[in-house]
Amino acid sequence: MAKKSNFITLKPVESSSLYLRRMEEKTKQGVNTSDVDELEELMLNINSYDVRKTNENEPITKIPHSLNLVGFHDDRTNTDVNIAPKLPARNLKPNTNVSDMYKNTQCVRCDYGFEPHEKIVNTNGELWHPQCFVCAQCFRAFPEGIFYEFEGRKYCEHDFQMLFAPCCGRCGEFIIGRVIKAMNANWHPKCFLCEMCDKELADQGFIRHQNKALCHDCNARAKAASLGKHVCHKCHSMIDDRPLRFRGEVYHPYHFNCSSCGIELNADAREVKSRPGFTANEMNELYCLRCHDKMGIPICGACRRPIEERVVTALGKHFHVEHFVCAKCEKPFLGNRHYEKKGLAYCETHYHQLFGNLCFVCNQVIGGDVFTALNKAWCVHHFACSVCDTKMSQKTKFYEFDLKPTCKKCFDKFPAELRKRLKKAYEANPKKNSAAN
Amino acid sequence: MSKVRKIIDEAKESKNPELDLVDKGISSFDEIPSLLTMLNLTRITLTHNRISVVTPALANLTNLEILNLFNNQIEELPTSLSSMPKLRILNLGMNKLSALPRGFGAFPVLEVLDLTYNNLNENSLPGNFFMIETLRALYLGDNDFENIPPEIGHLKNLQILVLRDNDLVQLPKEIGELARLRELHIQGNRLSVLPPELGNLDLTSNKSVIRMENNPWVAPIADQLQVGISHVVDYLRSETYKFVYGRHVSANAPAPPRLSERTKKSSKPKP
Repeated sequence: MAKKSNFITLKPVESSSLYLRRMEEKTKQGVNTSDVDELEELMLNINSYDVRKTNENEPITKIPHSLNLVGFHDDRTNTDVNIAPKLPARNLKPNTNVSDMYKNTQCVRCDYGFEPHEKIVNTNGELWHPQCFVCAQCFRAFPEGIFYEFEGRKYCEHDFQMLFAPCCGRCGEFIIGRVIKAMNANWHPKCFLCEMCDKELADQGFIRHQNKALCHDCNARAKAASLGKHVCHKCHSMIDDRPLRFRGEVYHPYHFNCSSCGIELNADAREVKSRPGFTANEMNELYCLRCHDKMGIPICGACRRPIEERVVTALGKHFHVEHFVCAKCEKPFLGNRHYEKKGLAYCETHYHQLFGNLCFVCNQVIGGDVFTALNKAWCVHHFACSVCDTKMSQKTKFYEFDLKPTCKKCFDKFPAELRKRLKKAYEANPKKNSAAN
Repeated sequence: MSKVRKIIDEAKESKNPELDLVDKGISSFDEIPSLLTMLNLTRITLTHNRISVVTPALANLTNLEILNLFNNQIEELPTSLSSMPKLRILNLGMNKLSALPRGFGAFPVLEVLDLTYNNLNENSLPGNFFMIETLRALYLGDNDFENIPPEIGHLKNLQILVLRDNDLVQLPKEIGELARLRELHIQGNRLSVLPPELGNLDLTSNKSVIRMENNPWVAPIADQLQVGISHVVDYLRSETYKFVYGRHVSANAPAPPRLSERTKKSSKPKP
């Protein structure tokens, strides 16, 4: 097929560049249509371009004009169709005297007249040679017949945008249609959004806050935040006093009433979360402090605050799981074994460390049976004479020497003077040395 | 000696990590050389023998946790003992030690140290003696201490301190820093007052023992002791006692005389 030429040549419609391009597309798609059909469709296409609406509010006017390209042959004429662009071309009535009609007219661009049988372009009463009717910038025919007019010159869409169309401050694309001028830039209406919530601002207006365009709600919130205050999630005004937190949002307390007694709430109100059998935020309710305290929600024995999650019951009290801790090391038991002593709970290590159930020999927590004597404890298999390490049983008689068990055999080997002293000390204080044998 | 060899051979064969050689008449490690090759041993008990020199090679038994040398004739110890990596219990009671080697306090994991019935005093302790932070029981009964160095306060894990039958004329106030102490034996000394800081310790609970008889106590302490130990501890905590103690210390009264009773100690070198 012929390549696209710069000027529309004086040829029948079948060889016009527009027609050729259409044909090219059709062939590419592998569709074969008859010349007549193609022509009709072409005409239909040309006429179905809408004249784009002009918006009076807009600072820049861009009117894409519909082009009425009229080809005429010997027996075909054309009426002036400039004011009826939507009319299908084939409905135009042929006029045999048309060559006379244009006899004394001339092309707007080259000032030459028109030959009989020559194609004429008519737009808004101006007549052109088809080869003169081109973009003022690139001198090419207008693709799809669409052109833009600016200061009396006509441009193809591409050049018009390149030269005059504004760019959007957000997406950087050309703006066709409504242009929003704000914040020292141009925007597509869909691109001019609140910087906090992404709401479109074109119709609802915006407020400039610290060089950001914000919607009214977000502006109120931002202003409150800068003052260290919250904005009520219900009435969207600033909360001057203490806010009430409920289901993750903040409110004026006075928007709510106690779920139990109905009194208007103040900031002391309590949110009751995740009751048994309900997931969080499903059953949340607000109660005034008085009703809340009466509801029988367990109070943690450690922090004195209500327990809304898992409750540990021990030592006759309730605790938050993380507040039930060893009285010595303060680590939470988290379900591990604990030992109670005198109203306090201890972890295994510290219970034995404090209350002496570590074996004197191995210094480990005594697992099985315990030998207790002389203010000490032993694993059964570690209880032995402290002098000769001979194992002793529960029944073995032993002497006490510095509160260590000593078998009779060893004691008898002690120097006589030492035995004498020990005996004397024992006799002077028999009750306290009762462990001695 | 064949008897001893038999015991060692049996222990080697059965791979028993505990070896008992009590009252076998052993006078030197030279008699039991194969002992030093039994690297698996965790306990050696050599009570009631006649050993006078401890071979430094004993420290090669790196798995040893308990070494019992009670009632021998040891006069000197090798420094190498202090480097034994697993030694937890060391019993050197009833020997003839009059000094401890330099660096003796380097034991990494020692928990119980028994030095009862030797000839030690504050001047025979090496500088790092009180650096054994893992120590939970220290037995120094039947020795010749007149004073206890204030560094004893470093033994944060000490639960048992026996100073029975020494020549102590005073106790350092640092004893009040031994927060875990639950057994204190200071009977049979020359003490007349106690530091008020002793009142910081929990020595009156049913898990604690304090023995303090046979001391020339000042009258108020002696009076309280008549009633009971808990009364003494309460008295030590009172403002009255702080005043009595302050006055006693500033008066700088001469120390009470030695007791004659212990001079016949059998561990004493023969004159």
